[in-house]
Amino acid sequence: MSPMKLCVPGDKLCSTEDCIPGTGIYLRHGCIYSSLTGYVLKKNEGEELPVISVVRETETQLLPDVGAIVTCKVTSINPRFAKVHILYVGSTPLKDRFRGTIRKEDVRATEKDKVETYKSFRPGDIVLAKVISLGDVQSNYLLTTAENELGVVVAHSEAGAQMVPISWCEMQCPQTHSKEFRKVARVQPEFLQA
Amino acid sequence: MAAGFKIAEPLEYHRSFLKENCRPDGRELSEFRTTTLNIGSISTADGSALVKVGNTTVMCGIKVELTNPLVEAPGKGFIVPNVDLPPLCSSRFRPGPPGEQAQAASQFIADVIESSEVIQTEDLCIERGKLCWVLYCDMMCVDYDGNVLDACIIALLAALKNTKLPEVTINKDTGAPEVNLEKRKGLNIRKHPVGASFCVFDDSILIVDPTAEEEGLSTSHLTVVTDEKERLCVVHKPGGTPLSAEKLQECIGRATARQREIQKLVDKVIHSVKTAQ
Amino acid sequence: MPDCFPHAVTFPFLCTTMPTDTKRVRGPEVSQSPTLFLCKHVAVLPSHGRRADGRQRDQVDVRPVFVRCGLVSQAKGSAYIEAGNTKLMCCVYGPREMERKDETDMKCGKLTTDMRFAPFSCLERGSWIQGSQDKDLSLMLHESLQPAVCLHKYPRSQIEVNVMVLENSGSVLAHAVTCASLALADAGIEMYDLVLGCSIRQNGASYVVDPSYMEENSCSSVSSENQGGLTVAFLPSLNQISGLQSDGEMNEETLTAGVRTCIEGCYKLYPVIQQALTKAVRRAAPPPSES
Repeated sequence: MSPMKLCVPGDKLCSTEDCIPGTGIYLRHGCIYSSLTGYVLKKNEGEELPVISVVRETETQLLPDVGAIVTCKVTSINPRFAKVHILYVGSTPLKDRFRGTIRKEDVRATEKDKVETYKSFRPGDIVLAKVISLGDVQSNYLLTTAENELGVVVAHSEAGAQMVPISWCEMQCPQTHSKEFRKVARVQPEFLQA
Repeated sequence: MAAGFKIAEPLEYHRSFLKENCRPDGRELSEFRTTTLNIGSISTADGSALVKVGNTTVMCGIKVELTNPLVEAPGKGFIVPNVDLPPLCSSRFRPGPPGEQAQAASQFIADVIESSEVIQTEDLCIERGKLCWVLYCDMMCVDYDGNVLDACIIALLAALKNTKLPEVTINKDTGAPEVNLEKRKGLNIRKHPVGASFCVFDDSILIVDPTAEEEGLSTSHLTVVTDEKERLCVVHKPGGTPLSAEKLQECIGRATARQREIQKLVDKVIHSVKTAQ
Repeated sequence: MPDCFPHAVTFPFLCTTMPTDTKRVRGPEVSQSPTLFLCKHVAVLPSHGRRADGRQRDQVDVRPVFVRCGLVSQAKGSAYIEAGNTKLMCCVYGPREMERKDETDMKCGKLTTDMRFAPFSCLERGSWIQGSQDKDLSLMLHESLQPAVCLHKYPRSQIEVNVMVLENSGSVLAHAVTCASLALADAGIEMYDLVLGCSIRQNGASYVVDPSYMEENSCSSVSSENQGGLTVAFLPSLNQISGLQSDGEMNEETLTAGVRTCIEGCYKLYPVIQQALTKAVRRAAPPPSES
């Protein structure tokens, strides 16, 4: 097998008639050019033509996009919304800090009017959420946890111990056995257990 | 996936390593990062040095200029050290005038120069009350990964050892100075101060040569500067949790060992530069 | 015996009327470079024949460059370039949240550039405070890079480009452009093309490519026509010019010929730059499996 081809931004890869454009490329005058430094990857995905992309192993997705699942840390809460820092997009860590907001009405799918942010999140919690909008000029990324799989995955009790979920809306401290309210995500992902 | 843990709970992540007496980058608690030195690479400077301590990189360039001594100190020249932490070196620094950390670092280096007497300002006098040298020592951090103070002191020391002053004579008739750039003489380096920085985790665990992340998570910082005669020049502990006398003694012991290592490194590089010429 | 600094000696306290900089360790109020008091004057540069560093005149004889990517651990992307004694480095941070909320653009990202000189980088010691020259250069760098970056891919974010000149031995803007585009590519910022820079110095009928600091700042009084400098930023694959800066006085023909020479100079750099980038990618990660 020949070594994989490397390209730099501006390199002409092929004509649009030969390949379907993928990522890390741009089109100009019917040709496909590279917009990244990386490996040229051609993949057959059942279509007539292979999909051509330029890939770098490191940091494929740089910005949170609508629909992306993000891991975030709660920084502050008030009756109307919770403010978070987005740490991960999918499984890619972000190098720079992006701020997001989970509004009260986006915490859960049912009984939206009964949601209380204080009973859903606390500062320091690690939350799985989905991006619903990039927000506008004034606001941050808008996130939602209104799905069973989304919500708090790691939380610490007032005693400082990591709590275990006992229902979709409660977590318990293993030391003091006191219960605290959270909007708990259904699956406890293994990746935070290190 | 440990990476998730690292970003979400950095303090817990570090604690889990410290419990095993090691650190996330594989070092032992009392181990410095690899230190490398490059001397005299900037030809526009009268003396220069580039130091790397792990990822942390500091470049020191020295420019010499002529000036009048102060009336109250007619026999003394000037050393003007400044540390710059430009936005280039880390996303934590913003453009504009020096921030708090850069100001504190500049002052710290000034203190080290004064109390260690690395150079006596009398040596910079050309004619008493009339003419003297001023050494502008600018330390520019180009990669900030913690422990910038240690790197600055090494860069400064190496750059001072590399600095050559041009010959100056005072014209008898006009009284004006005449400079001969071809004839240059090295500075008289009287002491070799070297610093060692420490961080305290959870009020008890002591680590040396902290990275930027470790600095941010620790509860207290300490820098000890000693010279080749094992004399203490500066002990700098800006606030934080208290430190026991035994721990401090341990730090001083580690600092004197570090001084010997670094002085050996500086001498070796200076020697290799000389033989290459 | 006249004193060379009568002001500072006689009135040491009057000098404090200057706005004082409390954020730095300050030295004496006035000091002067020893180069002002030279007993012998430096030899004048040759105006014909070989150049001072042995390169050819009137030919596209650029200095060999040394480039490296990804040296700065803290930055998203970084590059270092050395051409003769000109040394500079560039770091790219971002894309990250816009610093000022009111400037947020929902459609398109923002590119910010900052270029500065280390105080020890020039023959004369530079000031700590960014001068107008640095700001002009930052602006020109911005203009040269912006057309090459796919900013629409980075809505509501900013990408920061910081350039530090460690040693100025001429043609800094041209090399800053090259270095910055390398750092952007190293950061994985999507771009239409690389940007390469090259400059020339016209001196009457003859010219020098990639001039050194001495060549940039020496002027011969022989002819007053066609004296000037020209820097071109060029997108080599798209064959477009993204930045053009000229000073001095040149007639139309000379200027167009100069631009052509600069483009030729850029093409000489191109393979070195491509190689540095692919090398960095290969070092960072092995090729992905083709499955």
